[in-house]
Amino acid sequence: MTETILSVRDLTVAFDTRRGPLTAIDRVSFDIGRGEILGVVGESGAGKSVTGSAVIGLIDRPGRIAGGEIRLRGERIDNLSPEAMRRVRGRRIGMIFQDPLTSLDPLFRVGDQIVETLRTHTNLSAKAARTRAIDLLAEVGIPAPERRIDGYPHEFSGGMRQRVVIALALAAEPELIIADEPTTALDVSVQAQIITLLKRLCREHGTAVMLVTHDMGVIAEAADRVAVMYAGRVAEIGPVASVIAKPHHPYAVGLMGAIPTLSQEADRLSQIPGAMPRLTAIPKGCAFNPRCPKVFARCRVERPEPIPVDASRVACHLYDAAEQAA
Amino acid sequence: MSAYVEVTDLRRRFDVSKPWLNRVIEREPRKFLTAVDRVGFAIEKGETFAIVGESGSGKSTVARMVVGLLPPSAGEVTITGVSMTDPRQAAARRRLRSRIQMIFQDPYASMNPRWRVGKIIAEPIRAFDLIQGEGAIRARVSELLGLVGLHADDAKKYPHEFSGGQRQRVAIARALASQAEFLVGDEPTSALDVSVQAQILNLMRDLQDQLGLTYLFISHNLAVVRHMATRVGVMYLGRLVEVAAARDLFATPRHPYTRMLLDAVPDLAHVGRARVPVSGEIPNPIDPPSGCTFHPRCPLANDRCRAEVPALLDGVACHAVQEGRA
Ligand SMILES: Nc1ncnc2c1ncn2[C@@H]1O[C@H](COP(=O)(O)OP(=O)(O)OP(=O)(O)O)[C@@H](O)[C@H]1O
Ligand SMILES: Nc1ncnc2c1ncn2[C@@H]1O[C@H](COP(=O)(O)OP(=O)(O)O)[C@@H](O)[C@H]1O
Ligand code: SF4
Ligand code: SF4
Ligand SMILES: [Mg+2]
Ligand SMILES: [Mg+2]
Repeated sequence: MTETILSVRDLTVAFDTRRGPLTAIDRVSFDIGRGEILGVVGESGAGKSVTGSAVIGLIDRPGRIAGGEIRLRGERIDNLSPEAMRRVRGRRIGMIFQDPLTSLDPLFRVGDQIVETLRTHTNLSAKAARTRAIDLLAEVGIPAPERRIDGYPHEFSGGMRQRVVIALALAAEPELIIADEPTTALDVSVQAQIITLLKRLCREHGTAVMLVTHDMGVIAEAADRVAVMYAGRVAEIGPVASVIAKPHHPYAVGLMGAIPTLSQEADRLSQIPGAMPRLTAIPKGCAFNPRCPKVFARCRVERPEPIPVDASRVACHLYDAAEQAA
Repeated sequence: MSAYVEVTDLRRRFDVSKPWLNRVIEREPRKFLTAVDRVGFAIEKGETFAIVGESGSGKSTVARMVVGLLPPSAGEVTITGVSMTDPRQAAARRRLRSRIQMIFQDPYASMNPRWRVGKIIAEPIRAFDLIQGEGAIRARVSELLGLVGLHADDAKKYPHEFSGGQRQRVAIARALASQAEFLVGDEPTSALDVSVQAQILNLMRDLQDQLGLTYLFISHNLAVVRHMATRVGVMYLGRLVEVAAARDLFATPRHPYTRMLLDAVPDLAHVGRARVPVSGEIPNPIDPPSGCTFHPRCPLANDRCRAEVPALLDGVACHAVQEGRA
């Protein structure tokens, strides 16, 4: 494997409420290598965004990391001071969110925002930073960047704004980019442009990417590996082709069958009964057990740990050697 | 014999001018946005006609005019031969009302949060005076809840006690309560998680088979449309650019925009696909391009395209297709 950039081990995130702590992320582990795109999918509330926020040290209050470790190139970043973490963000970790306007200040010209990021995180002169900003805008496909650099965010279309955000995220040449639903707010024809761009740039710059989305189609096209999350846990993680074409975890199997595709006609979509549990009512044992067609006694009492299956890791008792032998 | 629903030359303009005083001060003329332009199609009884298009293409505006929620600027909608606009047919239209129902993306917005679900579902029964006697109404509500996969006891709960998918089931039960035979769904599953979307799409198809319903199904999701539709209309900037049987449209798209869209959609079957990104974004509808509004993004555009609006002939509105050079 290539050099590991991000390593998350047993990450646990809890939200303190009046009725006690609620565990939103429960012992999640994964790695992302240099130049690799890890897709993180799951239905709403699965914990995708909280996982991303934990990595960048921006969990909403009253949430907190309640366990585990996050390492960036081997260095722990989950226990840094807020000041030190602020320096890591922007410099070593870039961020892209669903709404480009959360990253762009409407009152400042886009060029000035990129220049400021460059000046904060690198030692470029003002003049060199402006030249570099123009190059970045050109790189993300903004036409006539020497002119557009002095435009305000509202003068850009939705897709162009997201390109500017990508330029901003890449400005300081970070090792890792966290992209949370970066194409969800865009029209399909523009989505494709943004995915292609993100994929190409990360490959060229060797940036590791955590791509969070509920859209399996986006993952299929962009990601190298994919983690399927359910109720704050990773159900299955593995190479994108095998997780999509040959998923192992019963939830992943149901999920893939539930998604209508353009390439084949299905008479009926496969259907998982029920819905994802709320944090206040995560089932004991395997969190998926009330909805699982393969559930058996052990699933209701013992939480399955991830087990290597083919090229993936699957958290399901079915794949436990003891069960297979039985 | 005319079709169940006939839409002829439908148009809708919105006045998007600034307030009078601003216009006078800034010397600006009135501004109009043509949201729907010369749209025509027919829906046969028992079929699912889908309208697909990117954001702002005019899908919802068409849907609202079809059910009579929005008066057209020009053109006509008839359902079972009854005009939705002609004042002389007001009495016939009133009789038709209960048979046409709309289902929205956000079912919560269309429900009184202080009413129990039983009362919400019974409301159209009472409004149209379809069943007499409380006991009989209650029995019908239980039957409807069963039909959409909920439990008779759910009648006692409030909308907020349900998940998004369950609320959409309640909305469908309410639509069916008035003995509707024509359902117009405007993105009915777009806010739902994929596993829940699959439940609702399966339910809608089952109900159609069981009750012989006719659907107008609006969605921006091509894969969902492919799964649901018998015929499909593709909209771009207020115009219908292609109408075809679903099977033909997805196998051999003819209009350059349809082709581009089908090529752009991230799909499960496209693992690791390298794509030719689509160029450009949707132009501002207030100031649309001349002639064929797709011409700035179309690889086949020529002078005629820039000058002349192509008419929808034989299911396609494109000069290149008609000239045999597509
Ligand atoms: N009441 C209104 N006043 C002014 N403009 C409107 C109004 N309703 C719709 N429009 C405009 O008409 C065009 C078509 O809108 P419509 O809501 O029908 O699109 P849509 O295809 O349903 O899009 P989406 O996928 O985003 O729901 C858009 O440009 C929209 O901004
Ligand atoms: N600020 C918060 N306070 C309490 N619970 C939260 C907060 N933010 C997220 N959660 C909960 O954490 C879980 C995971 O949320 P999230 O990561 O946003 O899901 P996803 O991005 O997968 O849709 C959900 O149950 C959500 O309700
Ligand atoms: S552990 Fe049991 S309940 Fe969980 S997914 Fe596997 S078989 Fe189903
Ligand atoms: S009419 Fe011309 S511009 Fe429009 S889609 Fe056809 S070829 Fe392209
Ligand atoms: Mg999220
Ligand atoms: Mg709409």
